[in-house]
Amino acid sequence: MTVETSTANTSGFDRQHLRDLATGSVTSIAVTLIAVIVVGLSWVGPNFVQASNITIIGTFVAVPMLVAAFAGFALLGGVVDLSIGSMVGFSSCLCATLLGWGWPLATAIPVTLVACMAFGAINATAVVIFGADTIAATLGMLVALRGVCYLMAQPTGSLTAFDTNFYTFTNLTVGPLPLLFVIALAVIVIAAFIVTRTRLGRHVQAAGGDDRAATRAGISVTRVRFGALLLSALGAGIGGILYVGQLGSASNLTGTGLEFQVYAAMMIGGYSILRGGVGNPIGAALGLLVVAGTSNILDVQAISPYFTNIIVGLLLLAAVLLDRLRGGDAYE
Amino acid sequence: MTDATTIAQSTSVQPEGFRAKLPSGWGTAATVAAAWIVLIVASGIHRPDFLSHQTVLAVSFTMAIVGILAVAQALVGMSGAILDLSQPTALILSAAVVAWLLECGVPVPVVAIAGILVGAAWGIANATIIVFGKLNPIIVTLATNFIGGAVMFLIFQNAQAPLKSGFSDFGRSYFLGLPNIWWPMAVLVLLAGYLVPRTRYGRHMIAVGGNRFAAQARGISLRKTRFAVFGISGAIVGAAGILFAASNGPFAPAVGSTYQLPVIAGVILAGVSLAGGRGSIWLILLSVGFLSTVPTSLVFFGFSSNWQAVFQGLILIVAVAIDGFRAKRLQR
Repeated sequence: MTVETSTANTSGFDRQHLRDLATGSVTSIAVTLIAVIVVGLSWVGPNFVQASNITIIGTFVAVPMLVAAFAGFALLGGVVDLSIGSMVGFSSCLCATLLGWGWPLATAIPVTLVACMAFGAINATAVVIFGADTIAATLGMLVALRGVCYLMAQPTGSLTAFDTNFYTFTNLTVGPLPLLFVIALAVIVIAAFIVTRTRLGRHVQAAGGDDRAATRAGISVTRVRFGALLLSALGAGIGGILYVGQLGSASNLTGTGLEFQVYAAMMIGGYSILRGGVGNPIGAALGLLVVAGTSNILDVQAISPYFTNIIVGLLLLAAVLLDRLRGGDAYE
Repeated sequence: MTDATTIAQSTSVQPEGFRAKLPSGWGTAATVAAAWIVLIVASGIHRPDFLSHQTVLAVSFTMAIVGILAVAQALVGMSGAILDLSQPTALILSAAVVAWLLECGVPVPVVAIAGILVGAAWGIANATIIVFGKLNPIIVTLATNFIGGAVMFLIFQNAQAPLKSGFSDFGRSYFLGLPNIWWPMAVLVLLAGYLVPRTRYGRHMIAVGGNRFAAQARGISLRKTRFAVFGISGAIVGAAGILFAASNGPFAPAVGSTYQLPVIAGVILAGVSLAGGRGSIWLILLSVGFLSTVPTSLVFFGFSSNWQAVFQGLILIVAVAIDGFRAKRLQR
């Protein structure tokens, strides 16, 4: 059985092997991004890289990128968290409700984040402690939290929470780049540093890559995965709060479908939702930029946004095929 | 193990002889039946008018489509292909083709065959990508659902089977006090539950789901099994599409996704392991019956319909947590 061979590997060898995989996928996603930029330049023209258009892309991609930086730890640890889309919505609705009650940001934000992490802890308990199937359990949370969003946003379906300072902050720009986008990039770089250069990152990779080997190496897989799911909930919580700042309101639909957008982009960027241990936050960021760039080109050319989904779907298949050809898991 | 999914890690690493000792699903059946009875009794005590023919109709109407889709999903799960996430697209695609052909005046029997063939073709298309790309079914069906959903949106916003036709009358009429569309579901569940463990092909499918390498060593073709499972489960989804078109008013492409969660929850509650190799299809009658009673009960308890999603999600989380716990205990 292959089980024997994989557990016989030392985790050191596995890590090296997996890191090679990650670098490989980052290279191919970078090439894809260059291709998108070339297509944009030749089809849309120089306007594609005009400051105003870059601001649009940056605003669009900032929050998903932040969410992805955190969710990436769960993916890397081998426990995909599908509930992030609704978690973003829940966070938005809760934050907007609290602000609507007249709470100051300084208390509304931490309370919202704690609430999100409490739901993240439910995910983690079901998945890590009880051993529930990750996809099914977090799919349940995805639906349950969306229901909570609908309940919170009754009866109109939206909650207004306009805070002038918060709005100004979330819409600041640094040159052509939105401040939030710069922050998201910084978070991605920090996450990439943690994943590739620190013990913690190696532990997460090891837990996701081969949990038996990781356990034997003295890593508490339970603790790593529990923490990873909490982090993923925290990231979604931050994302939801920033949406409230950006938009000055929340709706029961905030964040709908975000999980698929983010994970599709992350898989294009080298992560896998089925097996941990692979992927690099830089790849996730590039994947999101590819998707954002593609949808921007179609937008500017006034082509139906549904074509974005078709392209994303095809890119996704191409990415997993490429991953397999590079030596990733074959499904038979 | 080549497929390092968390699901597979938790259950399918057991030796084969272990499966023979598993209880034949009586524990699961008793639990689900007890939950269903408690729900009915509690609702009946709270509101005696719950126990009416009207409730039976509402529940059985919901059961019909969900039950058929659950059979298709159970076949996919038992064969070790985990989940078919593209069911929503296949369902609506078949329903739309049916509606369109009826509009063109094609006779009903031909339309019904076409609907089933559309579903089967969709399933075989998925299987082709899975088998020849050696890619994981969850990711493949996630991508094809993305692509298929977008293509449908580009083609139509709304579809509807012609009203005041024999076809629509059939979908809205009753037989022996239950909706017409309930009976095909019941027959399918009983038939599939009878055939799967008693026919050679059914046993091959379970063998592949339990341990694909052992199955292969016994001379079972993995490729043929995959094509057969996806083709047949696609045909079943196609059949659900026919009944969907017969019993519903105008429908948009996105409506298919509302079935995703109840179907997955129904399959897991029925004790079908997502890791493959075990489960009884008959129990789908109980699990889907229970799940379909929940929305009506909630209404009688005075909860708004928004609570439905919350409860559905929580039931799924609890169900998979119990499933995971059971698998963990068996492994010990």
